[in-house]
Amino acid sequence: MTLQPVVNALCVVLPFLYAAVTAAYGLSFFGDYPRLARAKTPALIVVVAVHLAYLVLRSAAFDHPPITSVFEIMSVLAASIAVGYAYIELRTRASATGFFILLLAFAFQTVSSLFIRDRFDIPAYLHSTVLGFHVSAALLGYTAISLSAAYGFLYLMLYHEIKSSRIGQIYTRLPNLETLEMMSHRAEVFGFVALGVAIVIGVLWLPRVFDRFSYWDPKLVTTVVIWSLYALALGAKRRLGWQGRRTMIITLVAFGCVFLSMTVINLYLSGFHSFH
Amino acid sequence: MNLHAIGISHNTAALEIRERMWLSDDEIRAVLPRLKAAKHFDECVLVSTCNRTELYGLSAGEGPDDGTMTRLLIEAKGTPAAVGPAHFTGARAGRAVQHLFRVAAGIDSMVIGDIQILGQIKDAFHLARESGTMGPVLNRLMQATLHVGKRVRTETSICEGAVSVSYAAVELASKIYADLSRKSVLLVGAGETGELTLRHLQGKGIGGVAIANRTREKAEALAASFGGTAVDFDRIAEALPAADILITSVAGPAYVVGPDEVHRVMRVRSNNPLFIIDIGVPRNVHPGVGKIDNVFLYDVDALSSIVDRNLEKRKGEIPKVTRIIREELAAFFRWQNGLEVGPTIQEFRQQVEAIRAEEVRRNVNRFRAEDRELLDLVTRRIVNKILHRPTTALKQEAESGGHGEDLLRRVNALRELFGLGQNGEAPREE
Repeated sequence: MTLQPVVNALCVVLPFLYAAVTAAYGLSFFGDYPRLARAKTPALIVVVAVHLAYLVLRSAAFDHPPITSVFEIMSVLAASIAVGYAYIELRTRASATGFFILLLAFAFQTVSSLFIRDRFDIPAYLHSTVLGFHVSAALLGYTAISLSAAYGFLYLMLYHEIKSSRIGQIYTRLPNLETLEMMSHRAEVFGFVALGVAIVIGVLWLPRVFDRFSYWDPKLVTTVVIWSLYALALGAKRRLGWQGRRTMIITLVAFGCVFLSMTVINLYLSGFHSFH
Repeated sequence: MNLHAIGISHNTAALEIRERMWLSDDEIRAVLPRLKAAKHFDECVLVSTCNRTELYGLSAGEGPDDGTMTRLLIEAKGTPAAVGPAHFTGARAGRAVQHLFRVAAGIDSMVIGDIQILGQIKDAFHLARESGTMGPVLNRLMQATLHVGKRVRTETSICEGAVSVSYAAVELASKIYADLSRKSVLLVGAGETGELTLRHLQGKGIGGVAIANRTREKAEALAASFGGTAVDFDRIAEALPAADILITSVAGPAYVVGPDEVHRVMRVRSNNPLFIIDIGVPRNVHPGVGKIDNVFLYDVDALSSIVDRNLEKRKGEIPKVTRIIREELAAFFRWQNGLEVGPTIQEFRQQVEAIRAEEVRRNVNRFRAEDRELLDLVTRRIVNKILHRPTTALKQEAESGGHGEDLLRRVNALRELFGLGQNGEAPREE
């Protein structure tokens, strides 16, 4: 296994790379560093490339795609957020939101790098195609709600600045409230649907594969609770005409639960779900 | 070649004096060729805006002094009453260029960073070209000036942020709403600032306009001019739910809008954001309204503080702008110095060489045939050694991009002492 040292080294380096590129975005958002501002996007592309290389090498080194534990999935999620953001930035040439979104990628990758373990013995059920759909849907869902939360957070910061008439850098650099709300909302709807698909596949498929399957699996329960929170937020928006601050707060609370469920709950479990 | 500038601006004269010196495009077209024909200048340009009227002229020698320049400019406008030399300031050579760059960069403007002036300077140079008073130096100066303006706009934020209450309000509206063409505004009262804000909003393409005023006729007249509708003053509450932006500027001690009303309105509006601009003094909108979710309430003080902060921020950018001006001045002087110094040195060398050659020719017969070649060599060496120090010093100074005036004086002294350009040979410009 000659690839393993390289994979392990990249695993250690990646959080630092994300920290550096996120700091570059932060500094050029809050301060005035023209050189840094020019260098940040190419730097992000390099980091994304390193991350994708890491995922490919990891798959090769351990002979399975990096979706067998929550911490592997977190790394894929971080990459997915970074790729998603890089795509948006290259398309729109707007880099103001970069710092806040990359902060999430940094957080996910850091948690992943800290707790990831090298596994070769992959149970047979992890080679299933249904699992592929389940994980892909969940991943898309989590990426979308991460972006939704980032835009929601930016909305609240800008909302607060305008409301309190203390206008600063946030006001100058960010797009308008309506646009932020719309971006957050669209990402949320997408994430909600994708997570719904993941839950449905999971609930239909898991009992057939696992004898120990329980509907009280903490992961399943928290995911359903989170999904319901999103349902509530979207429902309140549609039915009760909720707008702006209140829905953004629900979005952020729901995302807080997502992050907690992915990190804290999983720390006490051996696998992604309690039944494997 | 020497550049002179003379001008009247908001720094030296009040508006009623400045406006007497304002020249229309036609007047400028008439004046510039006259100045050139009278041999005051080889090249000249006149910039005239509501804040300044400035004449820049280029002459081969010392050129007219400040007093003469002032007189020429005042006469150009037909000697208006109450305008005197005390209202004018002048600058020469490097300082004149620096002044023009400062004006173009917006740091000499009445409101710092107002670089509307850049377009006006561009127009002034075009007028000079039309009038046939542009030459190679002013042409280069125009390019350098526009370059300064462009760099200042892209490399600094001296033009960013609203610097008037009405514009600050419009900027806020664009930070709340994505598309103003789908939003409506309700103006209550018909004050000057309210109207100005409405005008700015219309400039940004606001969708609908409704106007309420105590005098119905006034509301109707104003609504007609904005292509909007007039609303009865006592029916504001009914018109409010349809408005995304409310501007109030009513005189009177009572609040026009209170929290209960806005709560009701927000329910009807499905909590869609509402931006309220309260320009009235005393305030027209109850301060409690600002606490309601999705309602953004700004009064005159809040808007003024945004303006003050923006102005402070703009002032903070001045060092960056000054650095850009310094860099561009050096680049311009390098070019101009090359223009002055290169041909002078060449002419100087040619003249001394001509003297040497002539003396050698006259006296060559006094030497033996085998020494003649040596004579040529030795005299050449002596001449070269004498010329080496002054010419390299001049060249170095020219290349350093130093301030034009000292260098110009030295070049002129050299030309005068050695009588350069006086034997029918005009110095080459390029």
